[in-house]
Amino acid sequence: MNIKMEQRLANTWKMTVNEKKFIETALVADIRVDGRRPFDYRRLTIKFGREDGSSEVQLGQTHVMGFVTSELVQPYRDRQNEGTLSIFTEFSPMADPSFEAGRAGESAVELARIIDRGLRESRAVDMESLCVIAGKLVWAIRVDLHILDNGGNLVDAANIAALSALSTFRRPEFTLGGEGGQEVIIHPPEVREPLPLVIHHFPIAVTFGFFGDDNIVVIDPTHKEESVMGGRMIATLNTNGDICAIQKAGRVAVMHTVIMQCLRIASVKAGDITSKIKNAVESYNTERALRKIKRHSSAALDVHKPVADWETQNQSVDQKRMSDLPGHQERLKPISKESGVSQSNNMEGESQSSENVDMRFKSVSIQKLQCSFNLLAGVLTPNKPPEELTDEKPSETESDQLNADIMPAHSPDGAVGSVVETNRKNTLADAVKPKHKRKKKSSSNIDAS
Amino acid sequence: MMEAKPSNLPKSFIDQPVVPGDVVLDLSSMANQTIKLGGGLRQDCDALSVMKSGKLRFLKPNKYWVESSQKRYAPSVGDNILGIMVDSKADNFLVDIKGPALAYLPVLAFEGGTRRNIPKFEVGTLLYVRVVKANTGMNPELSCTDATGKAAEYGPLKDGYMFESSTGLARMLLNSPTCPVLETLGKKLSFEIAVGLNGRVWVNAEDPSTVILVSNAIMNSESLSGLQQKIMVDKLLQRVQ
Repeated sequence: MNIKMEQRLANTWKMTVNEKKFIETALVADIRVDGRRPFDYRRLTIKFGREDGSSEVQLGQTHVMGFVTSELVQPYRDRQNEGTLSIFTEFSPMADPSFEAGRAGESAVELARIIDRGLRESRAVDMESLCVIAGKLVWAIRVDLHILDNGGNLVDAANIAALSALSTFRRPEFTLGGEGGQEVIIHPPEVREPLPLVIHHFPIAVTFGFFGDDNIVVIDPTHKEESVMGGRMIATLNTNGDICAIQKAGRVAVMHTVIMQCLRIASVKAGDITSKIKNAVESYNTERALRKIKRHSSAALDVHKPVADWETQNQSVDQKRMSDLPGHQERLKPISKESGVSQSNNMEGESQSSENVDMRFKSVSIQKLQCSFNLLAGVLTPNKPPEELTDEKPSETESDQLNADIMPAHSPDGAVGSVVETNRKNTLADAVKPKHKRKKKSSSNIDAS
Repeated sequence: MMEAKPSNLPKSFIDQPVVPGDVVLDLSSMANQTIKLGGGLRQDCDALSVMKSGKLRFLKPNKYWVESSQKRYAPSVGDNILGIMVDSKADNFLVDIKGPALAYLPVLAFEGGTRRNIPKFEVGTLLYVRVVKANTGMNPELSCTDATGKAAEYGPLKDGYMFESSTGLARMLLNSPTCPVLETLGKKLSFEIAVGLNGRVWVNAEDPSTVILVSNAIMNSESLSGLQQKIMVDKLLQRVQ
């Protein structure tokens, strides 16, 4: 027997004759197998990730994740001053065994097309505001929709995921500079608050399923109902009652009165769903604002507390001791060479307990300088991407290290020099908190070895 | 089955959630007695360790096994399960049992089955069957007769509604004494139910609304305690009446 075919049979989801028959008989009696009435929507939950522009939508059993990213590209020839918006779908075989990995099936393409049509052709996202330099550079917005669990009505869930991800997405701010104002400087999020997209309206997709010849209609079909129903219609509407798109698939013929009734129901549902999305986005934004305040305050605390205690001593005492203890410097050297990063000096300071306290003082001062420089650097240098600098960093820090070892008198400058390089890699947020953690971890590692 | 030394039952692990790698029994400290191991446990010299996550169960006098709840069914001999017919061949029906491979149901494995009276099933027929062979590397084999060759209750199920559950929920429904959901529902409503250990439940009643109520009540009871189940069912019944 053909094993491969058998395996495929074993992996596909089957529906019994009993279920099919029962779903239809129950619908004649105006009830659905999950206890809903024909025009009840399933429970909708919208969640957001920690990052801007990510959303997770649950519609009953259906589970969809949306993720929005942006990059700078050349605009299309015919739309010189407009950004682009593209939708991509990812159907994981985990969501439904009938989805094949790596190949977009018929349903994946259809889903992406419907959502694309609803969002783009209704001009829901303002494209002109995504223009950087007309004809040369525009923002390309990419929406990735991951189907995590297929419980039916993927279109509605994916559409809501796309909308909520888009409405929390923020693109980095930029300014034009250089010669003739043609150079684009992109500001990292720490320096300038990223900007949200301009969304004019929310086109909400509402799916209807049609059963049998007598035009029984249900809203938001489950995947069991989807495999029984004869046809479906997806109406995309916004709260103003504008119909953005209609898609009708399947062989069942539908009366125009039924379609009109569906559209009326859809516009009510669109209102409900829009307010749900807006509420969710609003609470996300307040949470985000709170998070921001917290982050700044904690950063300030962490930086200034230790510095206030040690600042006065470390500049003088620290350097003097460094020169007074040649043995200890020798011990320090091999390690700093080994790791080649200025942080090694911090780790060293902690792991070698009492006699090396001065080293820690130094590390603290470095941190303080780092932070203060960070603020400076944020204003001065953000136009260069950080990756370009990182490769030259290790060697330089090492030489600075040596510098400090050989000529203690110059070491303050050396320390600053090394700080300049490190700080470009780390942002303000990174510079403070995680480093303490890392320090502890690595110090314990050294202890163990 | 295996021999072991003096008994020293670590009461702490019994009926507790366990994960792979937990050593639940130390045989070196046990009396010279026989213990029986069920699924999910293995013996490494004197240590009994867990191979899958679930709850460790113990049945007096000497049976241990790990009970877990999953969506996929691992066939084992003697289980009563619900299968869906997917294809028919000359000698066998191919039946989906939610397992790793399709199961074979020999066309003669019916009461008084001969070459002359092979039953005809449409693809998608729901069958109540018994597992008779479950060897690794082979397709499991099913039968529609009990051990004495009688049809008993086995065979195709007509009408009604089938839904899928976890294997843990199916086992809960089959527990005796009857689990609180079914008991509470049974006092108010009349319905037929067939539970397959592979996590499929079939319900039938006169009125479709009864079927829907019963099936939703069962699906909701997955993670509820006995009392919560009762309250949930009462609420559902009130809403309907």
